[in-house]
Amino acid sequence: MDSTKHFNVLIIGAGPAGVGAAVTLSKRGIKSIAIIERSDKIGGIPSFYKKKKGGVRTFVRWSRGGIPVFGEEYAQWLEKQLLKSKVRIELQSQVLNIDAKKKILTLVNPKEGEVNYSADAIVMACGSREETPAERGWLAGSRPVRVFFTKQLLSLLDDNHLLPMNNPLIIGSDLIGYAAAAKLKAAGASDAVIVDNCNRPKCSIFERLYFRMWSNPKYQGLKSKSIEITGNKAASGVRLNGKNIPCDGIVICGELIPNSELALIGNIKVELPSRKPVVTEDYQLSESGWFAAGNILGGFHGAEWCYFNGRRVARAVVNYLSESS
Amino acid sequence: MSVSGKLFYNWSDKDFDESLKFIDTEQLGDIPYDVTIIGAGVVGCALAYKLSMYKLRILLLDKNYDVGEATSKGNSAIVHTGFDAAVGTLESELITKASRHWPELAKKLKIPYEECGALLIAINDEQNSQLDKVYEKALNNGVTDVQQLSAEQALELEPQITKNVLRGILIPRESIADPFSTSIAYSEIALANGVDILFGVEVIGIENVDEKVKSLITNCGKKIDTRIIVNVAGLGSRKIADLYGGEPFDINPRRGQFLIFDKFSRSVINHILLPIPTEKTKGVLVIPTIFGNLIAGPSAEDFTNDDETVANTTIEQLQSLLNGASKLYPGLNEQPVIGTFSGVRCNCKQGSYWLRSNDGHRGIITVSGIRSTGFTSSPALAEFLISEMQEKLGLNLELNPAAVDSRSESSWPGWWKRPYSNNELVKESPEFGRVICYCEQISHGEIIQHLDSPLKPRTLDAIKRRTRAQMGRCQGFDCMVNVAEIISNQCNIPLKKITKRGPGSEIISTNTSQY
Ligand SMILES: Cc1cc2nc3c(=O)[nH]c(=O)nc-3n(C[C@H](O)[C@H](O)[C@H](O)COP(=O)(O)OP(=O)(O)OC[C@H]3O[C@@H](n4cnc5c(N)ncnc54)[C@H](O)[C@@H]3O)c2cc1C
Ligand SMILES: Cc1cc2nc3c(=O)[nH]c(=O)nc-3n(C[C@H](O)[C@H](O)[C@H](O)COP(=O)(O)OP(=O)(O)OC[C@H]3O[C@@H](n4cnc5c(N)ncnc54)[C@H](O)[C@@H]3O)c2cc1C
Repeated sequence: MDSTKHFNVLIIGAGPAGVGAAVTLSKRGIKSIAIIERSDKIGGIPSFYKKKKGGVRTFVRWSRGGIPVFGEEYAQWLEKQLLKSKVRIELQSQVLNIDAKKKILTLVNPKEGEVNYSADAIVMACGSREETPAERGWLAGSRPVRVFFTKQLLSLLDDNHLLPMNNPLIIGSDLIGYAAAAKLKAAGASDAVIVDNCNRPKCSIFERLYFRMWSNPKYQGLKSKSIEITGNKAASGVRLNGKNIPCDGIVICGELIPNSELALIGNIKVELPSRKPVVTEDYQLSESGWFAAGNILGGFHGAEWCYFNGRRVARAVVNYLSESS
Repeated sequence: MSVSGKLFYNWSDKDFDESLKFIDTEQLGDIPYDVTIIGAGVVGCALAYKLSMYKLRILLLDKNYDVGEATSKGNSAIVHTGFDAAVGTLESELITKASRHWPELAKKLKIPYEECGALLIAINDEQNSQLDKVYEKALNNGVTDVQQLSAEQALELEPQITKNVLRGILIPRESIADPFSTSIAYSEIALANGVDILFGVEVIGIENVDEKVKSLITNCGKKIDTRIIVNVAGLGSRKIADLYGGEPFDINPRRGQFLIFDKFSRSVINHILLPIPTEKTKGVLVIPTIFGNLIAGPSAEDFTNDDETVANTTIEQLQSLLNGASKLYPGLNEQPVIGTFSGVRCNCKQGSYWLRSNDGHRGIITVSGIRSTGFTSSPALAEFLISEMQEKLGLNLELNPAAVDSRSESSWPGWWKRPYSNNELVKESPEFGRVICYCEQISHGEIIQHLDSPLKPRTLDAIKRRTRAQMGRCQGFDCMVNVAEIISNQCNIPLKKITKRGPGSEIISTNTSQY
């Protein structure tokens, strides 16, 4: 297409990793940079954790002595950094497709419809999502309403001020699960029951002690073949080794899985079924000029780790650009 | 010009659209219906569509809050040629007939349809010895375009299938289509031709069964008068037959579970992969979907009572499906699974296609046991039922010259035509450039468009089946609440009252505090 806009660097995703990469590239003197974000705000996952009186701070700023902050506060800090830089920001723009060899992105937004952007180097900072029940491999049963992912819970609770359940049951015992239990309790629900397919919760003892300030969820772990969701119209519980645990709503938490579908679409190497993109030591993907940063790399990293990782990847991009020019 | 039918929901909530609420039978007019179809599955909807070509007063009703909410939403979505049907049965006859109609029908209904073909493969000596029988059966069923393939030919067609393949059969016209749009399209056209549609209305009793005009008693306390009753209630058909005392039959629901694989797998496999059927089952298939995924399944698990809530998934079965399907396509093990689902077949103990005209009483038709092929056979089965009504029930048929048999060009689903790639449209209506469902790439504009579509869908699942929002790899992680917000804003229903599939399935539990 002749209307392709060209940039030095394109960054997909304005979460902590993408913003970290963008501001660093800008500081290092890269001229034309654009950051492309499909939602209408900057900050990625943290932006969904709203600041609330009596609410739960779930993001730790290790670089500031380990103080916990609200995700929204962290997202605002990211936005400030980004606005100070000369990076072009494209919100409500979803990258649909890529041409890995030509380094072209096809994206769609409400202003232009479908457009193509090309660049000398591209950073994928698309983050991660939570595994679906099918992806977990041990979660089955019925398909009632009120079985949420954490992100859905956040939109209801923090954006719409709606508490979706009184007696929550949480599937997934890492930090995200314990944070969800605390947030639900702070919003007026009772203490959650947390279940997972392992004997001991995945969330560290320190983090659990921290969330005790709000709630004291009961953990029921079991290495079992399956956990079954019950309920016809609405979720009514789970069955775990022959035992029923009742509830009036379920949140499926944690077990992050990379948003690496663009890489897969473009035939960039991705491990399956883990969806982890294959990267070199300096975060290059299998196609020249493509990089990955943040939680798209796989695993569970906090927001600040992702931000600093983004900065590190930016330095690798600068090296790449100077070597290839 | 034909007059559009009426559409009501038995949805009493004060915030539900006033104009769509079913409050009293007066809303339906005081003349009894000529035909009432109980059950808006794919068969009931097809019947409403075909009957709507005639000058008749017709009612289509369902206890759910959309069409196709039961068996018709959980199937393999294969349009069969009937190559392996039991020779000489009505089922085989109807499938063969319908299969030839489908390409034309899909165009009329604006349903995505693809003749992908099926590849039946034998992977051990025992299966190999049965292949000739399958081939002969296909010829006997009038499916004469099947081809025998050597192992090399099979591997050339589908390089990723198991290297253990010994021989194969290609069935070129086995096809796939969009199962959700089919019931929707049939009923949208029926509505446009004057058929009335009621949702959320369950038939719980029948009065005056021996009179010319019978009365249906419903869960909402309103009686509905009708001359002919067609019981196409699938798994619910036996309970209804009990209400009028039809000839006894039994339903033993047979559950089928499936695994859904992400879209990257679809480029690897192009045909439906079939194992050699055994006495008991057709076995586990690998099926490309019209939406661009692969699915593996179904299982065949029998239940003894006609409990309609058996549609669960179980880890054991899903695991054994994966094992079974990997025998055909070993690479499946590495393909990412995104979801699972199950459907329940209406398995009639006395045999498939249990059809009874004037069942116990004049004017009542029972249609049950449409177990494994109703999606395919629906257009031919509907025509068969109409001829039964004409011949055995004395229904007078006069064509309605104003009736239409097609949906408009604009009815093609958005996921099929990708509205945002039309930059002019986006300039005019920016909401078509605002992607809401990231995985399936569905825009805000498409969701709004569907809320205003003829059946006025109001539930998350109804919107999901029409737009595909929430059907992708993240299964609603990113878009579920956004979709609920759009329904809420567009239809003036408070967010907390948005439901997954009708009253009782609200996304917010009752009596929770405002936070
Ligand atoms: C549900 C959930 C809850 C979490 N809760 C916590 C918590 O409480 N505390 C904590 O420390 N960590 C939490 N985490 C971890 C969190 O992911 C990291 O802290 C951090 O946000 C990761 O940063 P990132 O930039 O890699 O990805 P993200 O923050 O996920 O940002 C990625 C961005 O890329 C955008 N994007 C993706 N694909 C495209 C595309 N194709 N086109 C355009 N834009 C695209 C997304 O919209 C998103 O804004 C949570 C993670 C999840 C998934
Ligand atoms: C696992 C599986 C795989 C399949 N694969 C294929 C395939 O590949 N190709 C194919 O052609 N077919 C396939 N089928 C078969 C096909 O799905 C069915 O034959 C078809 O959907 C039956 O449609 P129906 O309208 O008869 O029933 P249903 O869809 O069950 O409709 C019955 C309707 O009646 C309503 N109802 C029940 N009781 C009452 C009441 N008392 N009052 C009001 N309404 C009531 C229900 O709500 C429901 O909507 C498959 C089926 C399964 C389960």
